[in-house]
This record gives sequence, structure tokens and C-alpha cells, in this order.
Amino acid sequence: MTSLLSGERVPKSNERIEACGELDELASVLGALAASLSERQAEAIGEIRQIQGELLHIGARLATTPGSPTLDMLRVPSAGPVEAMERAIERMEKSLPPLQGFILPGGHPSAAWAHVARTVARRAERRVAAVAAMIPGGPPGDKPGVTPGGDLPFLNRLSTYLYVLARRCNQEQGISETLWKA
Amino acid sequence: MEGLNPDKERRHTGRLLSRAQLSDWAFEVELERPVGFMFSAGQSIRLFVRGQGRDYSIASGPSGTTLSFCVRMVEGGSVSPVLAGAPVGTPFSFSGPHGVFTLRDSPRPVVWAATGVGVAPFLSMVRVGAAGFTLLHGVRQLGDLFHREEFEAAAARYVPCLSQVPAAGCFPGRVTAWAAESLGPGRYDFYLCGNRQMVRDFILLADDRFPGSRVYTEIFF
Repeated sequence: MTSLLSGERVPKSNERIEACGELDELASVLGALAASLSERQAEAIGEIRQIQGELLHIGARLATTPGSPTLDMLRVPSAGPVEAMERAIERMEKSLPPLQGFILPGGHPSAAWAHVARTVARRAERRVAAVAAMIPGGPPGDKPGVTPGGDLPFLNRLSTYLYVLARRCNQEQGISETLWKA
Repeated sequence: MEGLNPDKERRHTGRLLSRAQLSDWAFEVELERPVGFMFSAGQSIRLFVRGQGRDYSIASGPSGTTLSFCVRMVEGGSVSPVLAGAPVGTPFSFSGPHGVFTLRDSPRPVVWAATGVGVAPFLSMVRVGAAGFTLLHGVRQLGDLFHREEFEAAAARYVPCLSQVPAAGCFPGRVTAWAAESLGPGRYDFYLCGNRQMVRDFILLADDRFPGSRVYTEIFF
């Protein structure tokens, strides 16, 4: 058994606990990614640290059942972090050549870490989506805007951010992308 | 990537207003409260001394004009000796408020269990009007039961638990032992604040004896 933030004792196999574990794994992989980046990528390192902080907020919301008064203590998901990430994506894309096909994950270790983080972000998004799907329309007493579904846009954009960052890492290191040849 | 920084990470500054000894190992510190610094009873601040941050639950009430918190003296520590020796007027930097260890509305009876300076968030709750709770106050000896009168005035049941030196009118043992022996079956809202061992033991007890209860925790290291 373990405790949700809203106080309930639940089995460790609980879907909210499972999703929180995915976010924890994601934050850890992001830490490995940040550690692999060069000093020239200080901006991305700062962004990753902020993303790790945002993941903690998402985890707190995930660990709180709808209708709980604990929700009143938590920050409501907002468009700000999503918009900030979209601006970061646009900034990096400006220096990248257009995509010519499917890219095989790999290249420089930092790019490889970014791809690993991207796949973990996708899995976390799926787990959070599964929790959100269990709350059709939000139960009575749910605080508007504070459901796991409210965090899905952030997680969705995060995997795009990581994909672009992976490309940027290879570019930064002068390593050509490997295109998939069917 | 602006837009991700929560406001609670912002640093505030408050000057030391007073310091009072609570026991031979703990003292209470009062800082001036910055204008606009809002918090809920049960939340904490992170105090910074020479780059080291320490979390302290706020003991004063949310409507008070100052911020107070209880400090366990750690010999050779980085923060508590500085707090113990700083002259009145010394400015301290802190962030917050942090945490969600706050009182929730509930149809279930409320049981608080605290060890040592873990009573601090409960003090704040009492000072905002909380009443009708059971408080299990665990310390080593009688002289460590600081703020006892204030709790007794508000509690439906106040249970002083002395783990080392027995005294008349006090339960001779840990808070978990009292709960195991004397708390009737049922579903409760447990609020646990104190050392990790107490919190862990109490959770195991709650799972075993009081299934369906809610458990809220704040661990002091």
C-alpha cells in the first residue's frame, strides 16, 4: 500500500501510482539527458530543469483524486508551460534542416538520450491519458481544469520538444542524422 | 522557457524578531512576515543560510503578523546553530509557502500525531481555529511537551506520550503504541508529522487496524 496526496491508501499497482512512477522515470531520464549536454547547450539544460519541476506539479495532481479538497492546494494546469515549450521548439527548428524522412534514433550520446527521454515521455503521456479516461466528464465536485487530462497537452508537446532537441544535439556535435531506408 | 517558474520559488526576506527556548533541544523563532506573503495552516517555508536550505513548518497562524517556526537544535548543523545565535534584526531569506499538509474538510474523525517539533503545523492549525481533533503528542519527557496548554484548550482529546521518562497523566510509550491500544476501530483522517520512523510505523498501523482511513504525512528529517 502507499498514500495518494489526497490521503487515500491504495495498492502500489494503482493506476495513479503507476502514472506517477512514469513521470518519475521521465524526470530521471531527463536528468541523464541534461548531464550529457555540452556547455554550449546551457539554454536546453535550463529548460530541462524547468520541465523536471513541472513534472513534479503534474505528479502532485495525478496523486490527488478528483473532488479532494487537496486539489485546492495545487497549481492548476495552465497554458504557460505549453506555450513556453512551443517557443523553444520553434527556436531550435529554425536552425535545423527540413526532415527528409524517418530518423533512426541515435547519433551522439546526448541525442540518443533525448530519444530515450522522448519515448519515456510518450509512455508517461499514455499512462496519464489512461487515468484521465477513468474520469468521464469529471466527477461531481471535481475542480474544473484540474484533472489528469489537463496535463496531456504539456506531455504531448514534451515529446516533440525532445525529438527536436535530439536533432539539435546531433547538429551541435556535427553528426549526420541516419535516415531509415525501407 | 519562462512561464514555468512557480511563484513559491521566489525568495522573501524577513528579519529575526525574537527567539524563545522551548526545551533544552528546541527553540522557536519569530521572523517578520513580508507584506503579501500568504500561506495556509500546515504549510512550510524553506529557510536559506549560506546557501543551505532547510524546511520549517510555520507554527504561527495565517492571520498573524509574524512568521514563527520551531527549530530542533542540531549540534554541528549548518542552519540551526545560526538561527540559535543570530542577533535580533538579522535578515533571513526564505521561499514558500510549500507543501500541502493542510487540514481538509472531512466527515471522518481527525487524529493528529506529532513527534518533537512536528507539532508546529498543528499549532498553526489551532491558531486558525481548528478544534475537536485528537492529538497524540510524542516526546521523550514531560518538559518537551511545548505548547501543551494551547493544544489542550482546542483538542477533543490531547494525549501526551512520553517515550523515555514516564510522568503522571501521560501515556508511557510512543504515539503508535497509544493508537494501537486505545484508538477505537473506524475510519479516520490521520495527519502525521515528525520523524520518519513514527510516520512509517503509524502508516503500517493504519493499514492494519484502520483500513479506509486517509493518511496525510509530513516528515521531519
